[in-house]
Amino acid sequence: MSSDRLTPVQLARQAERGRRFRQPAPYLRLACLVLAALVPLVVPSFQVLDLAAKIAIFAALVASYDVVLGYTGIVSFGHAMFFGFGAYAVALSLGKFGAPTYAHLAAGFLAGVALSATIAVLIGAFSLRVKAIFFAMITLAFAEFALILAVQLTHITGGEDGLSPKLPGIFAVSYEGGRLLGIPVTGRLVTYYFILAICLALFLVMARFIHSPLGRTLQAIRDNELRAEALGFRTFVFQIASSSFGSVVATVLGGCYVMWVRYANPESVLGIHVMLDLLLMVIIGGIGTLYGGIIGATFLLTAQTLLPHLRTVAASVFAGSMIMQRMTERWLLYFGILFILMVFFFPKGVIGTVRDALARRAPSPVSSPPHPASPLRGEEKR
Amino acid sequence: MRRAAPILATAALFLLPLAFMDARTYVTLTVAGLAMGMLIFLVAAGLTLIFGLMDVLNFAHGALFSWGAYVGFSVALLLNQRWGWAAAPSVPLNVLLLAASILAAMVVAVGLGILLERVIVRPVYGRHMFQILITLGATIVIEELIRMIWGPNDQVMPVPLTFQGSWDVADVIVLRFPVVAIVLGVLVYLGITLLLTRTRVGLIVRAGVENGEMIQVLGHNIYRYFTRVFAAGSALAALGGVMWAMFSQSVRPAMGGEQLIFAFIVVIIGGLGSVTGSLLGALIVGLSYNYVAFLVPKAAIGINMAIMVLILLLRPTGLFGAGK
Repeated sequence: MSSDRLTPVQLARQAERGRRFRQPAPYLRLACLVLAALVPLVVPSFQVLDLAAKIAIFAALVASYDVVLGYTGIVSFGHAMFFGFGAYAVALSLGKFGAPTYAHLAAGFLAGVALSATIAVLIGAFSLRVKAIFFAMITLAFAEFALILAVQLTHITGGEDGLSPKLPGIFAVSYEGGRLLGIPVTGRLVTYYFILAICLALFLVMARFIHSPLGRTLQAIRDNELRAEALGFRTFVFQIASSSFGSVVATVLGGCYVMWVRYANPESVLGIHVMLDLLLMVIIGGIGTLYGGIIGATFLLTAQTLLPHLRTVAASVFAGSMIMQRMTERWLLYFGILFILMVFFFPKGVIGTVRDALARRAPSPVSSPPHPASPLRGEEKR
Repeated sequence: MRRAAPILATAALFLLPLAFMDARTYVTLTVAGLAMGMLIFLVAAGLTLIFGLMDVLNFAHGALFSWGAYVGFSVALLLNQRWGWAAAPSVPLNVLLLAASILAAMVVAVGLGILLERVIVRPVYGRHMFQILITLGATIVIEELIRMIWGPNDQVMPVPLTFQGSWDVADVIVLRFPVVAIVLGVLVYLGITLLLTRTRVGLIVRAGVENGEMIQVLGHNIYRYFTRVFAAGSALAALGGVMWAMFSQSVRPAMGGEQLIFAFIVVIIGGLGSVTGSLLGALIVGLSYNYVAFLVPKAAIGINMAIMVLILLLRPTGLFGAGK
């Protein structure tokens, strides 16, 4: 087929494929993966391993949120709720039905995914019918409702204390698998690589999702809903598909999170703080970049790990000053200010800003823009 | 008739619980439910007006509610410690304390609201996702400021003696403060309605809800009205905050966030942009919560969600929604 027979979309894709390995992005992503894989081999500290696992989980979680927020343009406050569903499903399945087996683990993941998919479709069907802005309010209400349920249904969820399931077989803390390359193979290590593999797989699935025809339709809806509708797409159905997909990914990650930390309580997996963290991470990394989550999660989780140390330092420096002590205690305040400043001045986050700078320096050879338009562009007011 | 239908249907529905309880319990629960509804209405009214006129979904509304509650708390505490106005068995002093708390809270909230509108909201008009994110960021900051200034723990709100306890009307126990809240809510509703329908400012605001661009074309600076409505909405939130603090006799930094979720449910039920819809929605939420909490305590948390989902299924734009 000669190139003049190709459609503009096919041309743009061809150009994209041609550029793929000449840009730094794929190599940086590979470097991140290798780095994460090397952590347990290089640094024997559990604290660092813990941080690395959480970064992997949250990076993927932020990416799944980005699919909904950045690639579809709908604001959901229920993403942490779906994360919590996964966490509770796996924790319940492992903890409530006798000695844990692999079957229990798989059943937990499946049950969580099924529940999340159902609820995501239902919420979407109620709220996206009228207006995407309803979605933000209704997901917030549902998330609060889920939190209250988890706290109140003590006989199932363990209330405020939550659940602390034990893991089966090679994931158990007590598992000893001899030594490999001079490193003792423990349950922790197996779990770490298992989680890393799942996160990698999810990233690949999500990248495939956003570059599929479906994903491109979603971006069209984000950029101009009216026009997408006029082109004959039932935007409502596409939006539901996107939010359900993001929710299911979040659910799987919730299960992974429980496998790693081995407990699930309302505060740690369902609370509004999880949602705030997610929003901060996605803003820092960059909305509509997918991989921004890696930067956002790394920054925020590292900061949160280091902050307690910082606070003890501050407490000794400003000893006796009540207001100074309170100011250092309220680190969320500074994250809030950072959040506002980011939204105002760097709405595309770290990755988006860097991409823009690169694009300005080396103008792209094809006419199509080298990166998707910012999702925060003004929507046309009706 | 079309406008009256939801009101009549609601009224009929709320006589239903009479079949399951005796009349005295029903009256007590109804008073509590109406009071709760009126307090939620105070929050929802500002939210719905701001959305209707400016097309801004203000997530920081709950934080302004908390600020109002804390400022009112400080004033009440000060007046009570200095002169014992709350503990004094004197009706004028007690009313004065309530009025002073409300006034201080509203003044602070108006200032905060204007600041918020000018600095945070104005640069992002017309961009929904931006607005939601930025007002959420503002919520974090405002709420954390409360924790920094007043400390992170619950505190006990001094309640004036006159408003404590209950009246015994023909063997029916009627708590005093809820009655005050209901009266205040009715006054606020009448005030807003009169302002919107009988004054020039109200006319412009209502026209702005219908079509903001046309208002600008006709030569009115709509941004000035945006600021005013935002400030008024903030003042209403603060009023709601003080009243809620006295109603629940405590203040907490997170109280605004919890009320905001109720207010969202109410605004969705009533229809975005409609003050009457908000009142009706708030009363539905307040009453059904109290009835269900008495009849089936376990189901109380779910009832509001169920009502919201039901109404969205029947009327996707809410009871009085214009489909905006």
